[in-house]
Order: sequence, then C-alpha cells, then structure tokens
Amino acid sequence: MHAAERLWRRHFLSRTTLGIGTAALAGLLDRENPGTAAPTAQRAQRPHVPPRARRVIYLFMSGGPSQIDLFDPKPNLLERFDEELPESVRMGQRLTTMTAGQRRFPIAPSRFRFAQHGQSGAWISELLPHLSTVADELAIVRTVHTDAINHDPAITFLQTGSQVPGRPSLGSWVSYGLGSANDQLPTFAVLQSRWSASLEAQALSARLWGTGFLPTRHAGVALRSEGAPVLYLADPPGVSRALRRDMLDGLARLNQLHLADSGDPSVADRIAQYELAFRMQDAIPQLANFADEPRHILDLYGPDVQQPGSFAANCLLARRLAQHDVRFIQVFIRGWDHHADLPRDLALQCRDVDQATAALIRDLRQHGLLEETLVVWGGEFGRTTYCQGKLTAGDYGRDHHPRCFTMLLAGGGIRPGISYGQTDEFGYNIADRPVHIHDLNATILHCLGLDHRRLVFRFQGRDFRLTDVHGHVVRELLS
Amino acid sequence: MHADLARRCNNTVRVLTAVWLAALPVCQDAAAADAAVHWAFRAPRAPRLPRVQARDWPRNAIDYFVLARLEVEGLRPSSPADRATLARRAAITLTGLPPSPAQLRAFLADPAPDAYERLVDRLLESPAYGEHAARYWLDAARYGDTHGLQMDNMRSIWPYRDWVIQALNDNLPFDRFTVWQLAGDLLPGATAAQRVATGFQRCNVSTNENGAIPAEFRARYAIDRVSTMGTVWLGLTTGCAACHDHKYDPLSQTEFYRLVAFYNSVAEKGLNEDALAPPPAIKVPTRLQEAKHRRLQSLLATASEETGAKRDVLRQLRRLEAAFPWTMVMRDLSRPRDTHVLLGGRYDRPGRQVEPGVPAVLPPLPPEAPRNRLALARWLVDPAHPLTARVTVNRIWQQHFGTGLVRTSEDFGTRSQPPSHPALLDFLATAFLHCGWDLKAMHRAVVTSATFRQSSRCTPRLRERDPANRLLARGPRFRLDAEVIRDVALAWSGLLVGELGGPSVRPYQPAGLWEAVSYPSSSTAHYRRDRGRALYRRSLYTFWKRTAPPPALQLLDAPTRETCVVRRLRSNTPTAALVLLNDVQFVEAARGMARRTRRQGGSTQDQVRFAFLLVTARDPTAAELEILLDLLDRYRQAYRRDPTAAAQLLDVGDLDSDGVRDDVIAAAWTMLASTLLNLAETIHQH
Repeated sequence: MHAAERLWRRHFLSRTTLGIGTAALAGLLDRENPGTAAPTAQRAQRPHVPPRARRVIYLFMSGGPSQIDLFDPKPNLLERFDEELPESVRMGQRLTTMTAGQRRFPIAPSRFRFAQHGQSGAWISELLPHLSTVADELAIVRTVHTDAINHDPAITFLQTGSQVPGRPSLGSWVSYGLGSANDQLPTFAVLQSRWSASLEAQALSARLWGTGFLPTRHAGVALRSEGAPVLYLADPPGVSRALRRDMLDGLARLNQLHLADSGDPSVADRIAQYELAFRMQDAIPQLANFADEPRHILDLYGPDVQQPGSFAANCLLARRLAQHDVRFIQVFIRGWDHHADLPRDLALQCRDVDQATAALIRDLRQHGLLEETLVVWGGEFGRTTYCQGKLTAGDYGRDHHPRCFTMLLAGGGIRPGISYGQTDEFGYNIADRPVHIHDLNATILHCLGLDHRRLVFRFQGRDFRLTDVHGHVVRELLS
Repeated sequence: MHADLARRCNNTVRVLTAVWLAALPVCQDAAAADAAVHWAFRAPRAPRLPRVQARDWPRNAIDYFVLARLEVEGLRPSSPADRATLARRAAITLTGLPPSPAQLRAFLADPAPDAYERLVDRLLESPAYGEHAARYWLDAARYGDTHGLQMDNMRSIWPYRDWVIQALNDNLPFDRFTVWQLAGDLLPGATAAQRVATGFQRCNVSTNENGAIPAEFRARYAIDRVSTMGTVWLGLTTGCAACHDHKYDPLSQTEFYRLVAFYNSVAEKGLNEDALAPPPAIKVPTRLQEAKHRRLQSLLATASEETGAKRDVLRQLRRLEAAFPWTMVMRDLSRPRDTHVLLGGRYDRPGRQVEPGVPAVLPPLPPEAPRNRLALARWLVDPAHPLTARVTVNRIWQQHFGTGLVRTSEDFGTRSQPPSHPALLDFLATAFLHCGWDLKAMHRAVVTSATFRQSSRCTPRLRERDPANRLLARGPRFRLDAEVIRDVALAWSGLLVGELGGPSVRPYQPAGLWEAVSYPSSSTAHYRRDRGRALYRRSLYTFWKRTAPPPALQLLDAPTRETCVVRRLRSNTPTAALVLLNDVQFVEAARGMARRTRRQGGSTQDQVRFAFLLVTARDPTAAELEILLDLLDRYRQAYRRDPTAAAQLLDVGDLDSDGVRDDVIAAAWTMLASTLLNLAETIHQH
C-alpha cells in the first residue's frame, strides 16, 4: 500500500513531457492478472540476441503489388509476348479459381522500363522514381514466397504466421517480446491510408493487428485520421483538461482508499493506467499535428503529406512515432490487387507511395533513426507472369502469385544495397535462395533481438510461436 | 416456478451432500491402478467428503473440499462478505446486471435465514440469467453477425443466439443442450428449435473470396468445428493434430481426421456466396410471429370466401411467413463425403481414408451406434465420459470465481496445470451428472457455498501466500467483462432496455471503423447506428462484425469471435480507461445516472450517497463522501464559470434533457456520475 502510494505520487509529479521512460511504470504495465501472469511474459522482456533495431516501420501494400512490374525485371519475356507460359514452369501448381479455368496462360511482359540505380545497381521500375534514389539503402528480396493463394488467408498468414484467424499479429508479438519503450504512446500503432486505384479493394481486418491469445494490451492501436486520432481519446465536449485533471485526482484518491481497503494490487495498476491515458491525450494529438515540421521535411514527403490519412501523411506520422520510440508501426495501404487494368492502377498506387516511402527512409536517415529502425515494404503475395483476362500491348491483368514476390527491407540490422535471391527466367518460380514468410518474420524478429524460436506463449497447453515450427533467419540479409 | 426450482436445487444439494457424507463406493484401488493415465482422461469418481476441523463453516459440500485444503495450508477462510456486497456479487455473477436499489433494500430487509438462497433463486429465474449465461456460451460458439472473412457480409443466425438464451433460461439439461447443438438435425422428428440449435456449428467464419477453392474451405470449416468441439466439450486442443500427431496429448493425426469425418458431410458449398444465410438454412418465426401466425391460421379457418376476407388473410399469412428470419443450420448430404487424413493439414494432400471414430484414449462409441454426429454428441454426454462434465463445471466455477479450478479452462490435456482442488472438481463433475446435467443447480450450489460468500478483501498475508487466490481463502475479485461493464452502466443510468432477443442492434460507435477495413460493396461497409431503444439493449445484442468488432468491447478484452474462446484475459490498459471516460455510451450513462440521482430528491449528501450506493452497493465512508462532495463542488464551480461547456456536456448522446432546468448543476452531477462509473470498485466483481 505504501509502495503503491509512492508510485501514485510519482506519476502525478511526472506526468508532463514526452519521452520520460519510467521503469516502474513499465513494471506496472506488465502486471495484469496479478499473481497469474505467465513467467514467460517476464522473461520475454529481455532481448535474446543483441538487437540491431529498436523498432519496425512496416509499410503494408495490401492486395499484392506486381513484383514483375516493379522489382524483378524479366526483359527476356518481351520477345515472348502472348506466348503460352510453358506447362513445365507451372508444374501443375494450384491456381486461384479466377484463372484456373483460363484456356490460355499467355505471358504478359511488363510494359514498364527498368533501370539500375545507385552504386548497388539495383533494378527498379520507372514507376518508382523516388524510391530509386534511395536504392543503396535497400535490401531488395526477390524470392519471398508464401503458402496462401488468396487475400484473406495470405494477409492473415503474413501478419500472424497462420492462414486461420486466431493467432497474434507480428506487431503484438513484438510488443509482447520487447515491452513498451515509452510511457505515453501505444507500443504498436496502426495507420490506415487512402489509396488511388479502384476503391473496390481487398478488405482488412482488426485481426491483422489483434493479439489472438496474447494479452489484449499488446494489440495494435489504430491511429485515425478522422475524429479522435485514437479511439475515445478526446474528452467529451464540455470537459476541459483542467476539469479532467480534477476528476482524475479525485478518482485516484477514491481508488487509493479502495486499494487500502481491498488490498488488491490491480487497483494501483488502474490508477497508473488512468494517468497514462491522461498523458496519451496530450501526447498523441501533438504527434498527429505536423505544425512543428519544417518546410523542407514536408516537401520531402510531397504535397499529399498535408492530407491526413494519405500514405505520405502516415509515413511522416510513422517517423514521428518512431522518434518517440513506438516499437511497431504498421502503415496499411490497400488497392494493390490488379487483376485487370494493371498498368493504370499500379501507376496510381505507385504515385501514392513512391515519394513518401523514399522520404521516410531519407528522413529516418537524417534523424539518425534509420540505423535503429527496420523498414519493411511489401504485400501478402505477388502477381502472375501470365495474363489474367485480355492481353494487349498496353494492357493486362495479373492473378495472385504466392511462389515468388519481392519485399524491401532497409535500416536497422539490414545489409543495404543488395538484391537478394533469384527467380527463374519467367519470374514464376524461385531459382535461388527462397525466403519463406516464416523466414522473413524470423529475420524481422532477429533484427529486434528476438529469437523466433524462443519468443513463445503458452496457450492451450502448447508453446505458440509466430513462426510455428518453421523459419530460419536469413543471415545474408543482415549487416 | 421459484419454489419448484428451489426445491429441485435444494434436493440436488441435499442429496449430494448426503450421498457424499455416506460416501459413494469409491474405488481407491481402481484409481490407483490407472494412475498412469492422465487424470483428466479417467472418469471422475465421487470423492469422499474430506474431514475438516471447522465443521461449522461449510454450507454445502463444496466448502468441505475448500476448507480441507485451507486447513492443510494453515489458512482460515475469510469472514463472510457483508450482505449488500453479497447481493451485488450474486446479481452480477448470475445475471450480469446489478441489483436494483429496491431489490437490494428488500433483500437487506429480509430477516429470513434463507434470504440469500431465495435471492439466488430469483436471480436464476430472471430472464437476465439466460442472457448473461448465453454471452459466455456465444464466446465459445464464436457467434458473430458477419461471415468474418474477406467480404465479411452480414449473416443471419441470431435466432440461434436467441435459442441459446431461451434454452439456458428454460434450464435445458446440459446433455440435451449439447445434443441439440451438435446433432439436433439428426434427432428423429427434429423440431424447429432442435434444428436452430445446430447453428452452433455454423458460427464458424466463412469466405466467399474470389478465387478461393471450395474444397479447401470446406476442409477448413470441418477442422474448425472439430477444434471448437474439442475446446468446448473435451477441453483439449485437438487442432494441433490437424497437421501432425499431437505432441503432448494422446491424439494422433488419424484420430483427428476420424473426428473430422463426423463433420465432413455438411451440405454446404464451401463458399458462402455472400448470402445472408448460406445453406443449409431455415426460416423460423420469432415468438411474436409465431403467435400472429397461429392467430391468422385460425382466422383463415373461419374467414368467408365470398367477402374476400379469406384472400386477405392468406395474403397476410404469406407476408408474415416471408418476414420470418433466416437462420443457418446443419444438414448432412445424403451420401457422406469420404474423409482422408490431410497431410500437413493441407486439403490438397489427402492421405489415407478414415472412417468416423473417437480417440482411443477416451471411451469407445457404442458398437451399435451409427457413425454420425448424433452418436458423437451422445458419446460426449455419456456419464462415463471423463471430460465433458469436468470441463463444463470448471467453466461454471470460472464464471463465478474469475479463474477455473483448472486455470486453463480450454485445456485439460497433459500440459495443463493440474486442478487446484482435484477432488472438488470431481465432486462437481459427478454432482452435475447426478442431478441430470442441471446447470442452474450447479450455479446455485457454487454461489450459495460459504466459499463464494467470503469477503474478497485481501490481507497482506494472503496476498503473499496466495496472490491469485487459488486456495480460495477469500471471495472472488476480478474486473468485470466488457459486456457487463456496459450493461451495469446502462442499468444504473436507468436507460437499459430489457427486451429479450431479436436481430442484433447497433449502438454508438466512433465513425469510420467499418469503412476503414471493408470492401465498399460489403453489406457491412457502413455503420449506421440505431436510434431510440436499440441503443440501450444489453451488449450481447450488439451487432458483431468480425473484421471490426465493437470497439469499446474489444478494448475491454472481448474476443473477436473468429475462433472459440472459453477464457477471456483481463487487461488493464490506458485505452480501456479512455473508453470509460469518453465513450458517448458511458458519458450518456453518466447523464442518465445523474438525472436518476437528482430525481431522488433529498440533500446533496443524500444524493451522493444514493449514487455511490448504486454503483458499489454500500454507503460511502466519511472520507469518500468528503472527496465526492469536494469533487461535486469543483465540477459545479467549473461549469458555473463556463455554462456553455455545461450545455455541451449535456448534449452528449441521444438522451433528452427533459426536466433539466439548470445546466450547471446537471453537468456537475454528470461528471460526478462519470467519476463513479470509473471507480475501480465499480467495474470489479468483489
């Protein structure tokens, strides 16, 4: 009781500026279900291996961007325009029912030009001129592959390591594994962006940032561009900050009496949570307000940055969150599912993300944050080399392709300026150095100092992992 | 009915106690013989009632087991909770609602020695009991109002939810409750209710994603149904064996697919076609519709053909029938599908073919039984089954104490923590069988025990010895579940609408949440909240979109309802604090509570006492009263300085401000009510 009271006083006295990390509070935050907390939760708070990154910014291209039009050039295919993709390449692998019934599988070479960029000579499509300027920061992984062939299972798989809903998301695993690094912001933040291609885009789901069977406090908190930036963050109309302060002081005194009477330590936690909530109410709107960003930074992200909810605005917000040590920031942008009209829609989507992605990397670099921030860019699968629907010289569509696709990594722990892995001449199968989603996730955790085999949570009598019983850290990607 | 139930429950408990005092034949030798078998796989045996020293403490058999353990540990039970706390505790644990001030007064004024038992009987007989008990069951059933994957269109299966409420209120014995849900369609001459009950197995998430392969998803649904059955009845994690032999529990992959074979012949397409009620589905009238239907039919018999009255009644009948809601049910194909072991759990890698069957570690199916879901369901509730009764009574215990006797209520397997009181668990399991799977009798036995009636106060010594209260030296204490927190607030505000059942409702929710995740063409792309009474229904009627579940409930640890959950975690987060402080629902509830408080009249002190009593079921101490009066004064001063702010606060929510003459005072009381709604004591069971 005395300890709790001291703690309570301390929080009252230190509830001001951003960035104060109070170990005591972190300790408090971990104490739910007092006395019953799984000991693994405590152990997991310490990194397993020396961390290279403190946090992750994950730019999620929902729908599945076309690797063959962006990062994995196959100029040899130009000569084979409209030729049948050889059966020997497809090897009877399963297709979605959208193209399984097609009579032909005509090769659709990319109509976009590729060039080499930077000292590393990375091949990047003309659709991404800004990103090309930071080519030397990137590890371009061309041989990612996944188990799922349709969106919902594939995105669930990438995010949770399982195609079936119910497992914790990557960000919540990181929150569970590393704990919070700040005392006024969520550990795992989720930003959803507007997009330019067809609005009839793949759905998302709260499960993608949910916790499955992990404690709920590890859930991603969606920061919103309309209304209050965090759900229920704003005081109701007619409640001033001073009045809220009065109320919380009174509430704390009453709870304090109850703590003494009941002897229940969770009451002390509750007092602390209300104080944390109060600080969040100040801290988060400050972060969402870009008024203190200099002109040249805003310009770096491009004109969209002024539109709340744009991908550019979310990238800048991501950097600001990173500055305040939010552990896992995931920016979603939908609209990458280009079964038809791919050249038009892909260009629109690239325009949404190109400048902002490059700006984010550059901005992190100039703030000295890139070394300790792992940036990930990609979608749940890639797209087929063969055309879905009608193929013309200028237009084509592509179906889902789980067998090889490209993801980008940059920053903390990643070897910059490399292109990793090789696909076959058709861009259909992996020729060299496959990277399964479980490998990718193991590598992401590794950069954060977490061993994917040891980051476990006991549920239903079993120790669950993000990578199930699979996954290898891809050492060659590490710096 | 009260008397009847009370008699039945009393009989049960008396019989049980007598039986155990006299000791059923307990075969110690046999128990020792199969000690090599994991405890949960041995059929529970009626244990002898243990000897205790403090023989005046036990009120029923449960207490002997708890006390015996405490005496071994050198601990003493806590003193009983005061009566008002007990009344609150019982009402919340049995109905998910607080006692009304009148109920509380009546109970406190009742000098009869069995006043508490009669209160418990009244609570068990109130329709709110079924609603509250249903909410736990719906978590297990993974009930939702949308299909859950990809398009996440709306689904019509709420008649199943209403069936659960009704069945629990009618106290349908748990064996029948089980059989109807797992195989109601296979019962000879299945009634509509028995078919509606099979909705349990249609609550799984389903997809209609463009490009998805039906066979893949049919396999997935069957696996989901087996996993759910495994968690709910067997308390086992069967799902692991979908891909490989279970690593810890005696369940081989082949055995898993034998279970899958029971579920592999559902007459469903695999893709849900974004339909409201993908087949198999039936139309069932609500109670009101049923009554109207009967009336029209009798009218039809007497209506004259000549005046056109007959035609008119027929038209009405047809219109009424067309309005019957759909609900998804189970039906099997006339020719069962072949079932194969799926290598690595993959639908496109079939291994050897298997026939329906049950795991070898559990009792066999009767040889003559057909190999179908009905046989499986009856097997689950066979008195010789070691798991069903244990797993079920453990969940009842968990509901009332916050933690089960087996803490991992979803897992009784070899990796589970052993029960804190093994003999008590077996006592309850055998008692459950003995009383004919009578759920209300079991609830009554638990909440009328001396164990449950203890004060929940935790002394420093107890906190050190037993922080998680596994030894039960004190009463239950835990944060209320999300739905209960919202429902009690609605009750205190006087806004709660106590209607039973019907289509799900859409209360307040921040804008843009559905839009942010949905396909624009989904039938749940846009959230349009309800107006009027629908805003104030109990939370189990809140529309459940699985890809964007009700946000306030989520922040208070409600599951997503995508998979079966029988144990919720309880977190303590700043975002949950923000819900209680700022959600329109809770601010409006504070307004309602303020209005209700002021209508009580009396002095300011009296009114503060009333409001405090409402949320805590006790009088404030002098120190508390002082703090509250001081707060009220601060609020009043603040709003006097800024009357516009007062008007703004009073504008939150749809509740009209009838009778409010003084905004400043009303706003100050609203803030005080909000303060009370945020007290730790308010949102805890204790």
